[in-house]
Amino acid sequence: MHPASLGNEYSEDGVDLTLIRWMLSLTPSERLQAVEDHANEIMELRETIPAAWF
Amino acid sequence: MARLQIRGILRALCRCEVEFIVVGGISAVLQGAPINTFDVDIVHSREPGNVQRLLTALKELEAIYRFQPERRLTPAASHLLSNGHQLLMTKFGPLDILGEIGRSRSFEDLLPLSYLWDPEPGISARILRLETHIRIKEEVGEPKDMAVLHVLRRTLEERQAAI
Repeated sequence: MHPASLGNEYSEDGVDLTLIRWMLSLTPSERLQAVEDHANEIMELRETIPAAWF
Repeated sequence: MARLQIRGILRALCRCEVEFIVVGGISAVLQGAPINTFDVDIVHSREPGNVQRLLTALKELEAIYRFQPERRLTPAASHLLSNGHQLLMTKFGPLDILGEIGRSRSFEDLLPLSYLWDPEPGISARILRLETHIRIKEEVGEPKDMAVLHVLRRTLEERQAAI
C-alpha cells in the first residue's frame, strides 16, 4: 500500500484509483472534454513560462 | 499552436465518411483512464476509396506534417496507402494517422476489437477496446508505455468491477 494511503486509494503498483473512479463516474463525452480542457490549459500555462527558464 | 479540439477532428473525418478507429490515449480516456494526451491517434482503412476521403478530410483540417512545419508538407495518397505513421498538425491540433499499430495490426484486424461511439450528431467513431489497447502496449513493450500500462490495467479492473 502507498505509505500515504488511508484506504484503498492506491493499487499495489501505486496507481491512484480515486482518479480512475472519478473518470469512470463521467460520461465518455465528459471524459473527452476533461482531457481536452486539460491539454489546452497546460499549453496555455506553458506560454506563461518566462523565456529565461530555457 | 492550435488549441486541441478533438471533436473538430472527429467531425471532419466523419463528415468525409472516413473509416477509422480511434486508438491511443483518447481511446483510453473515453473508457475512463485518467491519463493526459495531446493528440488524436487513428488507424484508418487503407482501401483506396477511403484514402481519397481521408485526403479530403485532411485538406479541410489543413493538415501538415509536424516534421519541419515551416515547409508545410502535406501527406499524399501514397503515404496513406502505406503501413507507416503520419504525424500531422491540423487546425484543431495534432493528429497521428497510423497505417498499422503493434504487431502489424491493420484497420481490418482492429475493427472487431472496437466499440461504436456516437455521442452526438456528426460524430460516429469506432474506439479501440481498452483490453486491446493494453495488449498492444504489452506486445510492443516500449519503455515509455510501461508507466501508463499500470494505469490502463487498473482502469480495466475498476471498469470490470463496476459491471
